[in-house]
Amino acid sequence: MSLPSGVGLKGVPLVQPGPAAPSRGLGRLAPAVPGAIALFLLFLAPMAFMLVFSFWRTDVDFNLVPDWNINNYTKFFTVPTYLRTFLKTMLMAAAVTAAGLAAALPFCYFLVRYVSRRRQRLVLLAVIVPFWTSYLLRVYAWQAILGERGALNQALQAIGILDEPSRLFVYNDIGVFIVLVYVYFPFAALALYAALEKFDFSQLHAAQDLGARPDQAFRHILVPQIRSGIITACIFMFIPILGEFLTPTLVGGVQGSLIANLVVNFFRGAQIAQGAAFAIIIAVFVTALLVVFRKYLRIEDVVARE
Amino acid sequence: MVNDSGDRHGRIGSEDIGMDQMARNSNLSRRRFLQASAAMGGVVAFGGLAAACTTGGGGGSTKGTFNWMTWSDHYYDEQLAAIAKDQEIKTSITELADNSEGYTKVKEVGGQLDMISGDALWVPKYFEDGLIEAWDINELEVAKQLYSIARDFSIWKKPEGYLGYPFGWSPVQLYYNPKYVTTTPDSWEVLLDPKYKGHIVVENQPVEIVAYMAKFAGAKDPYNMTDEELAQAKDLLTLLKPNLLKLTQQNTETITSLINEEAWIATGNLGAEERVKEGGGAEIMGFTPKEGTVGWMDAEMLVKGGKNNSLLKPFLEVAEQAEHIAENFIRYGRPLFNESAYKLLVDKGHKDRADRFLYNKPETVNTMTLKGPGSSTQGAIDAFNEVFGA
Repeated sequence: MSLPSGVGLKGVPLVQPGPAAPSRGLGRLAPAVPGAIALFLLFLAPMAFMLVFSFWRTDVDFNLVPDWNINNYTKFFTVPTYLRTFLKTMLMAAAVTAAGLAAALPFCYFLVRYVSRRRQRLVLLAVIVPFWTSYLLRVYAWQAILGERGALNQALQAIGILDEPSRLFVYNDIGVFIVLVYVYFPFAALALYAALEKFDFSQLHAAQDLGARPDQAFRHILVPQIRSGIITACIFMFIPILGEFLTPTLVGGVQGSLIANLVVNFFRGAQIAQGAAFAIIIAVFVTALLVVFRKYLRIEDVVARE
Repeated sequence: MVNDSGDRHGRIGSEDIGMDQMARNSNLSRRRFLQASAAMGGVVAFGGLAAACTTGGGGGSTKGTFNWMTWSDHYYDEQLAAIAKDQEIKTSITELADNSEGYTKVKEVGGQLDMISGDALWVPKYFEDGLIEAWDINELEVAKQLYSIARDFSIWKKPEGYLGYPFGWSPVQLYYNPKYVTTTPDSWEVLLDPKYKGHIVVENQPVEIVAYMAKFAGAKDPYNMTDEELAQAKDLLTLLKPNLLKLTQQNTETITSLINEEAWIATGNLGAEERVKEGGGAEIMGFTPKEGTVGWMDAEMLVKGGKNNSLLKPFLEVAEQAEHIAENFIRYGRPLFNESAYKLLVDKGHKDRADRFLYNKPETVNTMTLKGPGSSTQGAIDAFNEVFGA
């Protein structure tokens, strides 16, 4: 059934754009001013400074010298350690994103489909509650859980899986992975919940009635309709992890360093020009990723769901 | 059925109709709402800014809050609470990890910080770059409690005055748990022994870690190394990496690692063995490596243009009193420059401990390779990153 243009169901007229309001010049832009100022002062201006500094050099007295060069950039691409560490960071981000989605999707599916609305809110509250405590405290808590004398080791010893404490879970990449999945799970869960909440599950039954296997119904009916939630979850997990510093510092030990740890060493050592160049490289990569994501996600999917 | 007007299931309920009507009627109110939001945002931002600007004592007030970037062992909570209560001077503390980090921070924020702690040769560096004020520490009554040598370090003396209020000092020592390290070590080499793989902890100070390796390699000045010396230090770092369990952020974390025995060997300041024992850990042993070591002596520096600098001298007058310094020594172990606190420690029966940790021998600082900025800092960080990256 198609409806005449401009008429909704039951003859209710659709919203039409109102007549153009008389121009009030710059006054119309007023609401955008605070955001524009914040964006300029807190993002664009610092990034511009960083960009400029990245082409300078730091002298032996730790002064920034406007001696324009690209050495800070060439170092990133010519010293294998930096490329390896960046690649490792991307792999870690990809693995954590995949694990976060794998954990959050069934969780949200169950929540939306089988839990009453009131209880859904309680469970979502439980998902959000960790945000009420500081990130630092949560990661320290994981140190206590995963450590050699931590709760996990004690539990595994108590049930006879381990004979002696293991360091398998902390001060290495495994520890970083576990903690990052924990930290970013709520972001994935909230994004997927918002998408699944709008999904009409009767479509899955309909698909199966028409002969689709459950996995086909999942892939061809559910996934395309929650695509925006999946992509949003990916953005919320993958991109921040590229800049993760605290978790690898606290639970990664010397084996678990990610690229941000190396960048921080430059800034701590007052090598601002070098640190700025590396930060810009990461920022450019993140921007490129967002452009790629953007191709698959209309912004309205995120901010103005139908 | 999906149509453009309803949701993707073709439903339009009363709620949706209501929204439509609201949308039709809301052109003006939405604009007003946005304008009001913008105005409110501006007011809140301005208010926040104004509040931030007026935080602290400001002007010549001797009450308020000041910003202090320091190491976690320069104070203890009860001390700060007592000063806040009695003097109405509060501290907003930023933890300092490394000298170069503090130096960079002051360069960036200037007078937004009021006081910063710094080591040895870093202190004149701050002054030469116009970041701190020289002043007459003898203005403070409490300065009379200092060892005379601490009031007269040539590296901190300028015609304009003294560069900082002397606090503490220590050579960097190596500590080991004899339960696990059965052969008595006497060299930096113990850090490279594969027997101790994954059981060594050092503080996360890249330039210092490179300096330790440089000392072992025989470098004359570990902060001003030649390329060849730097290359040697880097080779040793490569051997060190697999032995390290983690890089700690503060020395209190190092002590915890020794207490819970996840670390068998660690770098630390004088007195670490007492802190481990008091924390319920095993008896550990300390030594100065035979190749020599680096050392630090630190001071509290007044940042030039600090917004709350009127609070600093009244704060130091109280915070540096012998009672607080003696308590600080008992808690954190390494020697400090307050002589009256030493006498207090002796009176309270801590002479043995104080003497063991050279509290009564401040002249020892003259025998150490002092921490400071150097020409090989960038090379040291590059070497560190190239080894400790993936």
